[in-house]
Amino acid sequence: MRSITADRSLREQFPRLAADGGGLDVRELERLRTRARRFADEHVRPRALEIDRRTGEDPSWFDWDLVRAGGEQGMLGFMIPKPAGGGGARCTQSAVVMEELCAACPGIALIFGAHALGFSPLLLGGPSQWDGVLAELVASERTGEPLLMACAITEPEAGTDVEDPDLLARARITSHARRVPGGFRLSGTKRFISNGSVARWITLLMPTDPRRPVETWTCFLLDTRSEGFAVARVEHKMGQRACPAAELTFDEVFVPDERVVSREGDGAGATMIVLASSRPPVGAIATGIARGAYERVLGWLEEDRAARGLLERQHVQLALAGMEEEIHLARQAYMDAATELDHGTLGGVMSNPAARALEHVPASFRRRARIRSWLSSDRARDATIALLHRSTSDRAMTRSLALSSMAKAHGGDVAMHVTGAALELVGLHAGPVRAELEKLWRDAKLTQIYEGTNQLNRLEVYRGLCRSETISCLPPLRRAQPDTDGRAHTNGDAGAYLDADAPRHASVDGGGGRS
Amino acid sequence: MSGITAAERAEIRAMARELGHRELTPRAASLDAGGQDVLAECWRLLVELGLDRVLLDEQHGGAGLGIPDLLATIEELAVGDGGTAMCVLLCNAALATLADEQLEDVPAGARWALVPATSGTEVTISDGQLDGRLACALGAHGADGLVILLDGPEPAASAVGAGAAGLMLERDLEQMGLRAAPAASVELTGVRCAPALGGSDGRADGGSAELSVEDALALLRAGTAAIAHGIARRAYEMALEYAHARRQGGVAIIEHDAVSDMLSAMAVRLACWPGIAVDSAGLAVDPAQALAVNIAATDAAVASTNDAVQVFGGTGYMVETGVEKLMRDAKYCQLFPEPNWVAHDELMRSL
Repeated sequence: MRSITADRSLREQFPRLAADGGGLDVRELERLRTRARRFADEHVRPRALEIDRRTGEDPSWFDWDLVRAGGEQGMLGFMIPKPAGGGGARCTQSAVVMEELCAACPGIALIFGAHALGFSPLLLGGPSQWDGVLAELVASERTGEPLLMACAITEPEAGTDVEDPDLLARARITSHARRVPGGFRLSGTKRFISNGSVARWITLLMPTDPRRPVETWTCFLLDTRSEGFAVARVEHKMGQRACPAAELTFDEVFVPDERVVSREGDGAGATMIVLASSRPPVGAIATGIARGAYERVLGWLEEDRAARGLLERQHVQLALAGMEEEIHLARQAYMDAATELDHGTLGGVMSNPAARALEHVPASFRRRARIRSWLSSDRARDATIALLHRSTSDRAMTRSLALSSMAKAHGGDVAMHVTGAALELVGLHAGPVRAELEKLWRDAKLTQIYEGTNQLNRLEVYRGLCRSETISCLPPLRRAQPDTDGRAHTNGDAGAYLDADAPRHASVDGGGGRS
Repeated sequence: MSGITAAERAEIRAMARELGHRELTPRAASLDAGGQDVLAECWRLLVELGLDRVLLDEQHGGAGLGIPDLLATIEELAVGDGGTAMCVLLCNAALATLADEQLEDVPAGARWALVPATSGTEVTISDGQLDGRLACALGAHGADGLVILLDGPEPAASAVGAGAAGLMLERDLEQMGLRAAPAASVELTGVRCAPALGGSDGRADGGSAELSVEDALALLRAGTAAIAHGIARRAYEMALEYAHARRQGGVAIIEHDAVSDMLSAMAVRLACWPGIAVDSAGLAVDPAQALAVNIAATDAAVASTNDAVQVFGGTGYMVETGVEKLMRDAKYCQLFPEPNWVAHDELMRSL
């Protein structure tokens, strides 16, 4: 297959990079993209249809060889922070890699994307997470026996609900994390969890008080070898089959206190931040699917005898131009969202001198018992949150979330439209390319659904951009926790770590604000 | 066409609706999975009701009904399963092209398929022999006979028994939609064929339909439109039911504009179904109108089934729900008997 767009440089694909690089190390990004493309060409594309067929027959079948091959190219750990041994890439790099992989096979790409989504809540934990599971993931990738992660949010009775704080307040949440001495007991069911059946570790969100899901929505890091955890079933999906979607059950699964990610009750805001950073890559996934379809139909038109003469038709020329146009605009949308998040909204966090200094602390020092104990203490967690508050704001996060949602929703629609139009151009009699396009069309539909339906995403655009609302995304500086008598109090002396000058980000909207 | 009354026509439609609801809907997943036994079982039921020979006269074991009855029947069957409805359409269209003596050789219960070898195919006929190949011929796999319809400067229809020398049929395992009409790639190497449409005027003289090549193609287009409409109806029914039952944010999702807007759009598309114009004798579809309706109905079905999956959200993406199947079936309707952009070309030529 001729790969026209893949032959283009990043500067051709993103004209703004020609001016100032948009704050990016373009050369480094190009190297990463080349690595992703090599992996896609050598391992993903040749196996895409076969894996789709096999998983169509047996949804639980999983290709670990492919994961190992991806690990060799660093596709599992490139998003993990450098101090934990990873590549230190961020949203922008992730998006560019996703487009490359998805042009070959979105289902296979989703394995790597769901893995990154799985550990992304840990990134919010800052240094306290670097030497735990994140380091283990990197080590496993290097030894050739990679471990995968998953993120579990959706429940049987709550899908869209759990991705929006307003809906979450009224959602039918049936899961529950019950406090017990030394930790929590988790019960309930999570559904449609990508990588759920193959993950070694899962980040999952549950309320510690089901009557107050928003206030007590909490992120846990779960060891899938824990007693009481089970994979109930693996779903038979329409597309993106290479990555299994599982139903997971939790029967009083014990999770110790130290595996509460960030703090109890910080989950709703954390979900928003995670979605703001995961939706641009989903926009890129969709763009990659559209590009894959476009390249395949173009290759067919140029090379297949059955398509002889069709390129001379204006109808075909206009259709191709329309595809090129839609793909280009979808790409700009996800790049806008990703660069805004990386260099705008969260840029201050990454460039903060204290944060940068911490990155240079040798791991051997960081792993000393006392240091490690301090890093995982409430004080350190509060300090991380305080840094977040100093460096960004709820308004900036809301705007980023809106841009990300726009990229995701627009990309999903483009993917559906381009794959559908490509299929229509080749028709039923086209031979092998038809099967590839049909697969991409089936794959594309999921991009309009996961990471929040396109409708929900567009409502985020309305709130964040049309109405300039502010959603509470950042964890509060002080976490009020219910006491045994039901009264609220603040935890410890976290206030000692607060910067007196830190801005308090109340709603700045002109009406309809939600903070 | 027999002069049946409106009441009888309504009864036929009701019977097909009941059959689709009672027999096909529960089997739709198995039919989609490609189960040949299930298809055979369904086919037996359809044959018992004479739905394989709707257009043929009684002398040939048919019901002697007209095209409007056939279209109404397959629309109702498509609400149950689009692929099965396509089998019925292809068989009826194929048999209606055969001459008297050819029909006499077709045993009761046989499943034939009309295979349009239109744009994008490489099939030729010369001295009564067919050569070439054709990918994804719907309904061809497992069929007892094929009528291959050649469009172009010299339209022709050729009947070929499934066991004919030089005919190779290979199941198309990649077939994404309408899977109860199992597709095959067709390889023809000097296959001797009998001309169908054997009447002196170039029209079939066997059944009551008396189809020409143009008529047969128009019937396929109109029938595909009816199937697409049936699929869109099913998508709307399923989405509406789910939207009342599923709750998000403390209310049934139909209360959310984001969902009700999609349902409304689906209802509007259904309301815009124009029906299909048939000549006064009920024996021929207007070719231009068939093209136009085919384009509109299949585009509408693709849009509505896509919306239906969206209403279901993640649940709709799972095969067991049965709603994503409608999306795949509708997409295949959009590509048959030719992709819609080619149909637009045809339409402009005909106008």
